[in-house]
Amino acid sequence: MSYDDETLMAYADGELDEVQRAELAAAIARDPELARRVEQHRALRAEVSRAFAGVKELPIPGSLEAIARGAAARVEYRGKVVPFPAHPARATASAWRAREWIAMAASLVLGVFLSWRLLSPLDSDILVVANGSLVAGGALATALDSNLASEQADDGAVLIGLTFRRQDGGFCRSFVARESAIAGLACRRNDEWHIPVTHSVNLQGGGMRQAAAAMPPAILMEIEARLDGEPLDAVAEKAARDANWAVR
Amino acid sequence: MTVGSEEIGERIVELLPRLRRFARTLSRNQHDADDLVQSAIERAWRHVDQFEAGANLASWMFGIMKNAWIDNRRSCARRGEVALPEDSGEHPAMDPTDLNANLWSVSEAMDKLPEEQRLAVALVLVEGLSYKEAAQLLDVPMGTLTSRLARGRAALATALGKGTNDVPVTAP
Repeated sequence: MSYDDETLMAYADGELDEVQRAELAAAIARDPELARRVEQHRALRAEVSRAFAGVKELPIPGSLEAIARGAAARVEYRGKVVPFPAHPARATASAWRAREWIAMAASLVLGVFLSWRLLSPLDSDILVVANGSLVAGGALATALDSNLASEQADDGAVLIGLTFRRQDGGFCRSFVARESAIAGLACRRNDEWHIPVTHSVNLQGGGMRQAAAAMPPAILMEIEARLDGEPLDAVAEKAARDANWAVR
Repeated sequence: MTVGSEEIGERIVELLPRLRRFARTLSRNQHDADDLVQSAIERAWRHVDQFEAGANLASWMFGIMKNAWIDNRRSCARRGEVALPEDSGEHPAMDPTDLNANLWSVSEAMDKLPEEQRLAVALVLVEGLSYKEAAQLLDVPMGTLTSRLARGRAALATALGKGTNDVPVTAP
C-alpha cells in the first residue's frame, strides 16, 4: 500500500480521522521509509513554527496598542487621510442612517416608476430561466463575463470568488450578488453561465470583501465536487476572461 | 447584537502578539509586519459594525489581515514598486528584533513562496489552525488548502536545504 505525500502530511499534522490514522500508524511501524517521510514533515513544521515563536514574545509598541483600542488612530480612507472617530461604532451607525435615507428616497422614486419590480421577490433580473435551466442574466452575467477577482472593487454589486476548470473542461466561477444576498456557482456552457446552485448569504452591511466573500459551506462543497486541479490564479483568470471563456 | 467597542479594543490588544506573528510570516521584517498589523486593525475598526457578537475575533482579524496583505501587494505591483533588496539597509532583514538566525532563513524562504502557499503555511504551520479552519479563512475547499500546503512545504524544504527528493511534491 503506498501513501501519497498529502496523506503523510495530514498524518504528521494530526489531521487524519481515527481509522486512517491507525491504518497509517501500522504501515509506518512496518516501513522505515514511510516513517522517515512523516518525520520530515514533522521536522519542517517544528522548524517553521519555532522560527516565528519569538515574535509573540516581543514587547508591544505603545502606538500599536493605542491603535488596537481604536483611539487616536488616523486612517487612510479612499486616498485621503481623515481623523479616526473616537467612537467608531457610533460613527458608522450614523453613516448608515444617511445611507438608509438615500436608499429610502431611491425606493420611493423607483416605486413610482417601477412598482412592479418591487413586488418581485428578487429585485433584479440576475437569474433567468432559459430552456428549463437557470442562467445568469443582467448585472450578474456581465460581471461573470468580465470581472476579475484580483481587480474588483470591494463594494461592487457582484463579487467574484474562485474561478476554476471543472472536470468536464469548462470554466466555473463562484460569486456573491450583493443586492439579492445570494452566493452561487456559475458554470459556462454554450456561451451562457448556468447556475447549478445558489445559497442565501447574510451580508450585514456589506462594504467589505471579508464579510461579502464568505462562501456558504454548501457552495464550497459544490465547488469541491466539480473542481479539476487548482482554482485559477490571477494570471490564468485574466487569460481565460480575455479568451472569452473559450475552452482550449 | 453589538459588542461594545471598548470590549473589542481590549480583545484586539490581547490578540496583538498573534497578529504580529501572523503578520511577520507575511512580511520581510518586523517593521513591515507592524505596518501590516496597523493597517489590518484600522480596517477592522472601520468595519467593526460587521463583527457579530459571539463570532471568533481572531479568525475575523486574520481574515482582514489576509485581505489587507493581498490588497497591499496588488497595489504595490500596480504602482510598479518592488520590495527592497535584502541589503538595501533601510530595513535590514537582520534587524535586532529578528530573534534568531532560524527566523531569518525561514522568513526568507517564505518570502519566495507564491501568495496562496505562503498563507496556507502561515496559518497551519505557524498559527496552528486546523486544515478546516484555514480553508474557511481562505475561502477555498479543503482539497485546495491541502495541496497548497503540501506544495508550500515542499518548496520550503528545498529552500531550507532539506532536499527535493526527500519531500516529493506529488505522490510517488
